Amino acid sequence: MEMIIGGAFQGKGDFAKSNHPDIKWQQGESLDENGLLAAEGILDFQEYIRAELKNGHDVSGLAEKMIEKNPDVILVSQEIGYGVVPMDAFERAYREAVGRICTKLAAYSKKVTRVVCGIGTVIKDDVRDGDQG
Amino acid sequence: MMILVTGGSGSGKSAYAEDRVLSLGEGRRIYVATMHPYDGESLRRVKRHRQMRAGKGFETVERYTNLRELILPGDSVVLLECMSNLVANEMFQGDKIREGIVMDVVNGIRDLKDQVRHLVIVTNEIFSEPACYEGDTVRYQEYLGKVNQLLALLADEVVEVVYGIPVWHKGGNSK
Repeated sequence: MEMIIGGAFQGKGDFAKSNHPDIKWQQGESLDENGLLAAEGILDFQEYIRAELKNGHDVSGLAEKMIEKNPDVILVSQEIGYGVVPMDAFERAYREAVGRICTKLAAYSKKVTRVVCGIGTVIKDDVRDGDQG
Repeated sequence: MMILVTGGSGSGKSAYAEDRVLSLGEGRRIYVATMHPYDGESLRRVKRHRQMRAGKGFETVERYTNLRELILPGDSVVLLECMSNLVANEMFQGDKIREGIVMDVVNGIRDLKDQVRHLVIVTNEIFSEPACYEGDTVRYQEYLGKVNQLLALLADEVVEVVYGIPVWHKGGNSK
């Protein structure tokens, strides 16, 4: 598994596609669970989580399910927890869920890159750091 | 040793900060809780954090405002969580936002740092959203931003936790 994360409008998608030009990319909000678990590359992964929550689905086991069923997926996801705590309860639950899920997926991912102004900085690389665990 | 741990919401910064406290060795571990629980959601949050800390040997001290009145033992390793609550509590406790809150908070931390063996502080990144806030919310961002900058000067390490991954901005293991 690999993750490419960052704020909105930072060029995460272009960065991901240019680094992985040969895989099929799909939008998070267009996928159902089967699609998610079969996808090669997912853009706006956070939108999948948002749609699930909007539909009243429990996402607490999502990270574990993805690790088990789709361990090689490449995820592009927007970091949404960097603002003032929202007044709206759904928005609070949404950003909390994205954070918890992405933290679990980042722990499993071999590589995590953060994109700012179109520039990717690798913040985790198990191969480079010699940590296969 | 003073470590400032920052990050977004749900970034894993609390778990990281707890691990750092445990790695600082034995000593009286004191958790300074700054969130005043006022509804079911905040009570659930407190419960979740208590479960995370269970078995790690923390004593809990609640301190919602007036950090300078807090006296802690000299051999203690202290985890203070979270600056965003403390600053909000100081700002929004009366009818009017008091001037001087930023320096009161920073001086409180300075006193604490001088008293105890090690101090780990959790703060929060609330500064990267569309500029659609107004009035007191902007002022809150301004005050917490200033507090964070001044605490970073006092700290030996400043670490941003990104989905559980530490990214160092000052000191530490800048791998």
